[in-house]
Amino acid sequence: MENDKQAGYSLAELLAHVRLSLADAFPDSYWVRAETSDVRVNAASGHCYLEFVEKNPQTNQWVARARGSIWAKTFRMLKPYFEMETGQVFTSGLKVLVQVNVEFHELYGFSLNVLDIDPAYTVGDWVKKRQEIIRQLKAEGIFSLNKELRLPRLPQRIAIITSATAAGYEDFLHQLRDNRAGYPFYTCLFPAVMQGERTEESIIAALERIDAHRECFDVVVIIRGGGATSDLNSFDSYLLAAHCAQFPLPIITGIGHERDDTIVDLVAHTRMKTPTAVAEFLVGCLDREAEWLAACQQSLAATVQHLLAVQKSGLQALGARLPAVVGSRIGRERSSLQVMGGKLPLLVTHLLAQRQNELDTAKQRMRVAIESRISKETRALELHAQFIRLASPAYILKRGYSLTLREGKILKSAAEVRPGDRLTTRFADGEVESTV
Amino acid sequence: MAKKTETYTEAVEKLRRIVSDIERGELDVDVLSENVKEATRLIQLCKEKLFKVDEEVKKVLEGLDA
Repeated sequence: MENDKQAGYSLAELLAHVRLSLADAFPDSYWVRAETSDVRVNAASGHCYLEFVEKNPQTNQWVARARGSIWAKTFRMLKPYFEMETGQVFTSGLKVLVQVNVEFHELYGFSLNVLDIDPAYTVGDWVKKRQEIIRQLKAEGIFSLNKELRLPRLPQRIAIITSATAAGYEDFLHQLRDNRAGYPFYTCLFPAVMQGERTEESIIAALERIDAHRECFDVVVIIRGGGATSDLNSFDSYLLAAHCAQFPLPIITGIGHERDDTIVDLVAHTRMKTPTAVAEFLVGCLDREAEWLAACQQSLAATVQHLLAVQKSGLQALGARLPAVVGSRIGRERSSLQVMGGKLPLLVTHLLAQRQNELDTAKQRMRVAIESRISKETRALELHAQFIRLASPAYILKRGYSLTLREGKILKSAAEVRPGDRLTTRFADGEVESTV
Repeated sequence: MAKKTETYTEAVEKLRRIVSDIERGELDVDVLSENVKEATRLIQLCKEKLFKVDEEVKKVLEGLDA
């Protein structure tokens, strides 16, 4: 296109030319990846205006930027569709894949007009971002710190982080206080902004206030009115998750949403869906203790009764067994006596035989001794008899000697004999009378 | 009886021990009655903590500058 200096273009002419050239160069619609920024909706018209930007992933500096618009007709359909698919509010800071027309207007300049949006891209990006945050929390060793805390047996002192005006807060208090058993709970509200960009810093500030009084509380609950899917980006923040994970008291969440857990839910000690559910959980903790105590009491009574019964029946059994025990003992003694008695005759016989034997031996020895003695004496007697025989007058007479008797008396001297005496001479075989 | 009252957790631990001792049935009848007395006291204590409003805790939390 030619142009000389004198004539020149009016601005409108030039820009009209730009517009036509652009329309020529970009006749179609294009899918573009970008990040949303400065999203705002004109309340009157319903049109959405925003900025599309691209950042250098290393430096985070903007490297491209373009104005964007979504006409009300399109936006009314795209917004709910996007939010339902992604679980996120269509707002600034989202990575989006949008189908756009490249437009140029002499008055309003360059802009990208959005025709369509692909929520899957945003979900994918969100998933990636979440995974990155989770990986980082795990790498730092803090991901499961809050889960490792022990929930006190009686979580009665409760620090509540929520917005005082939230409907969920009332539900929570109501559910907690109207518990059927009448457990007392002690609550203290630490107000925080629960939606929008200030959510992260506001909740972290509330956590810090609680931390200053941590010995006053058993547990922290982070709750938010339930309802439709809404702005949950803050609960996927690394900073808030890191604060929650490292908090010295167990944190219970009831953020009230239906999509997958936020990262704060993931690192919290216990995750409940709604504020009401959190209250039910806490009441349930006390119910468990109450049941345990009741069971304990019951088992104690039963056990003691059982033990006493066992003791008693043990005594009775012992008493009942006594006669039998004694009887059996007596029987045992008796039978051992009997055995001994049975052995006695044999013992006696044996003993008698032994004695008999001894006697026999003695008798034998006596007989031998007596016999030997008798034969000795007999021999001595025979000697005496022989001697006596040899000395007897008859024997002497036989050998030729004779006895002279006078008047029956033995004469031992010739001088006694007188003449005329009548003498008797005795021989062995008879007598002869003679006169001197 | 201990001078300082136990925390709930301490009381529960003691209670657990006593109950398991009794259940094992290794206790003398003499000791048994002592233990039952102690267990009853602990149960009472736990129930109080569970059901009775602790005014002191209430006052502390009300006084907190949240």
